Amino acid sequence: MSEFIETRGLKKIYCVGEQSVEALKGVDLEIAQGDFVVFMGHSGSGKTTLVSTIGGLTRPTEGTVLIEGNDIWKLNDKQLSNFRNRKIGFMFQAFSLLPTLNVLNNVVMPLIFSNASQKKDTDRLRSKAISLLADLEMEKKINSFPSELSGGEQRRVAIARALINDPEIILADEPTGELDIRTEREVMDIFSHINDTYQKTLIVVSHSLTWLEKAKTIIVMKEGLLFKDVDDPVEAIMEGVCKR
Amino acid sequence: MSILKLSILELTRRPKKNMVIASAIVISVALLTSLSIVSDSANLAIMEIIAKTGHTLTVRPAVSSASADAKEGSSEFKLTTSEVVLGSYIPETAVPEIMKYYEKAIKEGWEKKGGLVSNPGIPGIYLEPATWAPRLFEKAEVDGSEAIVTGIDIHKEYFVRFWWSLTCGNWPSNVTTMNVNTNISAIYTMSSDGKVAVDKAEYGVDSSSGRVIAVEKKAAKTEMHGKTHKAAPMRPMETMEGWDDAYLGGAYAKARDLKLGDKLAVNKTAFTVRGILEETNSADDYMVFIPLRTAQRLFHKEGFISLVSVRAMCPNCPVGDAMVELNKNVTGITAVSQLDVAGVQFDFFNMLYKFLLAVVVSTIAVGIFSIFNIVTGSLYARIREIGMLKAIGASRFQLFSIFIFEHFILGLAAGIGGYLLGLGMAYILNTLLDIGAVIQIAPNFIWRALLLGIVCSIVAIIYPAYKLSKLKITETFRTQWET
Repeated sequence: MSEFIETRGLKKIYCVGEQSVEALKGVDLEIAQGDFVVFMGHSGSGKTTLVSTIGGLTRPTEGTVLIEGNDIWKLNDKQLSNFRNRKIGFMFQAFSLLPTLNVLNNVVMPLIFSNASQKKDTDRLRSKAISLLADLEMEKKINSFPSELSGGEQRRVAIARALINDPEIILADEPTGELDIRTEREVMDIFSHINDTYQKTLIVVSHSLTWLEKAKTIIVMKEGLLFKDVDDPVEAIMEGVCKR
Repeated sequence: MSILKLSILELTRRPKKNMVIASAIVISVALLTSLSIVSDSANLAIMEIIAKTGHTLTVRPAVSSASADAKEGSSEFKLTTSEVVLGSYIPETAVPEIMKYYEKAIKEGWEKKGGLVSNPGIPGIYLEPATWAPRLFEKAEVDGSEAIVTGIDIHKEYFVRFWWSLTCGNWPSNVTTMNVNTNISAIYTMSSDGKVAVDKAEYGVDSSSGRVIAVEKKAAKTEMHGKTHKAAPMRPMETMEGWDDAYLGGAYAKARDLKLGDKLAVNKTAFTVRGILEETNSADDYMVFIPLRTAQRLFHKEGFISLVSVRAMCPNCPVGDAMVELNKNVTGITAVSQLDVAGVQFDFFNMLYKFLLAVVVSTIAVGIFSIFNIVTGSLYARIREIGMLKAIGASRFQLFSIFIFEHFILGLAAGIGGYLLGLGMAYILNTLLDIGAVIQIAPNFIWRALLLGIVCSIVAIIYPAYKLSKLKITETFRTQWET
């Protein structure tokens, strides 16, 4: 595995009224291509800020984010949108699918914002969406609407959408939040399947310890700092302190 | 899938809110459309009246109470009292004097203005003959109800009111009883040197139809600058056949359910309905017309008339000069130019239009503000969805486009709805206020309505859409993407 994602001295300060909160306190991080990283930690530890900074969603106050050696925060709005569209597949805990679109249209939605929708390969990408949905055992639901799907099915659609543009990185924020244990395991299996089959770099933010058995790398965060390769992540999370 | 399709689908997602927004736009568009349609139609109607009667002077007895008298007797039929004079009369013997001053004023005025000057490039213009028509108005009992009965010389009347036509029946065909030579007093001809020649008109009987026609006089056909200019041929006409013939205004016939051939008792004297006039949106619509001589005998007003309409069909006819001349020189009469009357109406409508326009514009401004509030609330409710769209690659411009498309479609649909409602409102207003305009589907109003709908909708969204499209993604996920 070669180094793929790199952050150097990443800092993020939020201003809330007159107070400022330092969410990231100079994070240095390397993630190899094809890795399956899970960020864990208490609420407010800075894990989501770090992941959203890597995904081109949150501009850091200081430091750099290099993806394949390119500093993404030097891109303009259009280039950054294009980067998110092509390089990254996002999965959110909620508000992920548009209720007016059926499953197939939700999956192909990122294509609207890429040039692909104006090219001849639209049909090919639609076929790809159907194939992805079939891979996720959702082929019978392509014409269903989100309101007709269970929580687990909605997650599968979100995963298919995250994969439609064949991105190299999948960022998922609490992808199994609010799911029952059985569905949570199903989703995790899908993530492992994606990581193994498509060789995608997976970055997951979660509170669930169940991810520990699936992830290749566990990174524990506390107060804007990260702890990588901890001996006992559970203990580290519970105690909130561990050796660096 | 496309951004446009996404916008359409998003529109269907919040039907109630969008209906409220659309309603505000529909009302705004409908108000402006109905106002514009009614105003334009009313202006057109006035212009039409000007075209018809613009060169007509109405000579009435110089009394101030005429309108009040008329009002009392005409309320049932909504008479336009400006034309009706009851209880005051002009002796018929005054007519030659009236015509003398009228013709003098027209001739001098036209020479002074210079037909050639006001119509450059046209070497000679024929003035059509000045014509006049007397009327005698009386309040009478018609089939047990009070009505305005008008004695007319139908031959002369037809000359002045050339727009008259019958919905049923015929004009009289007996031509022998009419003294047609007194109807048209003169034909004016202006030569290239600006001098006006005045010739008496001549009449003959058309051998094929038996109708009286004004014949072309040789003197009125002149060579000017090598071109022959012919006076416009007179319209064929027929005269009253019998003393007991009655012609009814269209609205009166409708109100009384009278048909061709029906008998009608005017002060207990029987008349036969020989024709029903097409409605002209004038007082004529509510009148019963009988022959002038019969009316004079029936109402014991031999030798008297209520008014004289004088029509001079000529380009730039100086009727204003004639009005001044008549009012100055002929005692006991008041001459009113129809052009002036129409002008006053025109000014009134313009003033009313401007006032209502200000009200409507204020309403639209309030409407846009309301839409702005609803839209802002609605968009902020979609804030996480916006964040998601940005996260999956929607650029600021693409997001902005989604909102604009949504509101373009909404505005377009509301514009169509507003136009249709406005058209309906215009019909209702026209009927309720009895404006008498002809409401038409005009393409320029459709475009204006659509444009207004779209502008209202987009103006209301442009600022919140701009702000939201600029929103940082993490701000949209503030509660989800914890720090």
